[in-house]
Amino acid sequence: MELAARNDANAFEVILERHSDAVFSLAYRMCGTRPLAEDVAQESLLALWRNGGRYDRARGSVRTWALGVTHNRAVDALRRVGVHERRRAREENIEEHLPAPESTDGQAIANVASEEVRVVLDKLPSEQRRVIELAYFGGFTQTEIASMLDTPLGTVKGRMRLGLEKLKVVFATGRSVHELA
Amino acid sequence: MSSRDPNLDCVQRVDAAAYALGALDEPEAYREHLATCTTCQQEVAELQAVVDTLPTTVPQARAPKALVDRVFARARAEAELLNAAGPEADRPPRRPNRWRSRPMTLAIAGAIAACAAAAAIVINSGSSSHERVISAQIATSIQGAHASLYQIDNRSNLVISGMPQPALGKIYEVWLNRGGPSPQPTDALFSVTSRGSGSVAVPEDLHGVKEVMVTSEPLGGSSRPTSPPLIRIVLPA
Repeated sequence: MELAARNDANAFEVILERHSDAVFSLAYRMCGTRPLAEDVAQESLLALWRNGGRYDRARGSVRTWALGVTHNRAVDALRRVGVHERRRAREENIEEHLPAPESTDGQAIANVASEEVRVVLDKLPSEQRRVIELAYFGGFTQTEIASMLDTPLGTVKGRMRLGLEKLKVVFATGRSVHELA
Repeated sequence: MSSRDPNLDCVQRVDAAAYALGALDEPEAYREHLATCTTCQQEVAELQAVVDTLPTTVPQARAPKALVDRVFARARAEAELLNAAGPEADRPPRRPNRWRSRPMTLAIAGAIAACAAAAAIVINSGSSSHERVISAQIATSIQGAHASLYQIDNRSNLVISGMPQPALGKIYEVWLNRGGPSPQPTDALFSVTSRGSGSVAVPEDLHGVKEVMVTSEPLGGSSRPTSPPLIRIVLPA
């Protein structure tokens, strides 16, 4: 990353090889359509190239930084689309019916840690998982989520906090979600 | 006298989860609060570590090769230009050596006002290669935007900052005006980052080109401009 930050395009090629699939996958998961996901992934990868000097190793891995940049770009893109269009897409489950891009089974299945996170997330109470997914992957604000779910804002805040707190404890202690319920 | 942290029971701690998830409606206010509240700082740090694992739950897909190739080509072009032009390359020219005033050849060019930054030309003669940076004229409808064309030999890159993102369903398109009745379209279509920065390689040799222009066009580009130019770079004869 240090070399890429000094305008070394060959070093950046290594960054692309290692992280472009993860960047595109997150963009695709959040945007739901391939053209928008490609736009977001391209912006994100170019941001890594142009802002490499801002990467701080102490604040996490390059992968974490890259996915954080991608998340921010995707949220910006989703919020430009507008809440009503996003809400309609979610309600109709458009994302789930889109043809999946070519999958990279080997790398995905081999990533046991990722699978563990997904399993833990799936075991959260559905109302907690839903607000977390709407916020993180849908780019909705807590007020928008409260409106969508016809739920008081305080309840949405509480579900977000409870859900994340449970994940934190599970990751830290290895206890199951059910033990925390 | 208690030594208890006054922030320990901070009522705003309840917003830490939404902040870490990016779901606060007004994150700036909470960010200001974080600067002084150690309890919320710790809470956000712990929850952020959890949030950072969420992308790993996403089914993995292969990034399209064309996308990766496009990004790498852009990075390589920028690296060549910036490395050749030196550390000052991505800054505005400090000593413009002349001002240009040139008749506008297109009727739609009326949308470009006699803006504050007329085209300034810098010829870098300290290198064996032919290098120059040409500042752009920006439409008055865009406040605070800057654009420059970096040329090394026959390669050119347009580097932009402070530009608003294209409207929904629109994209910026680069045009070449060779003095004909209408400008020549290119396949250089681009957007800008949320901070308004971007760059695009101008795909052709600019020999004989009088102006490089940028307009906002429908996604996929147009064969003729459908809107007035937002950026104009007048090339020296």
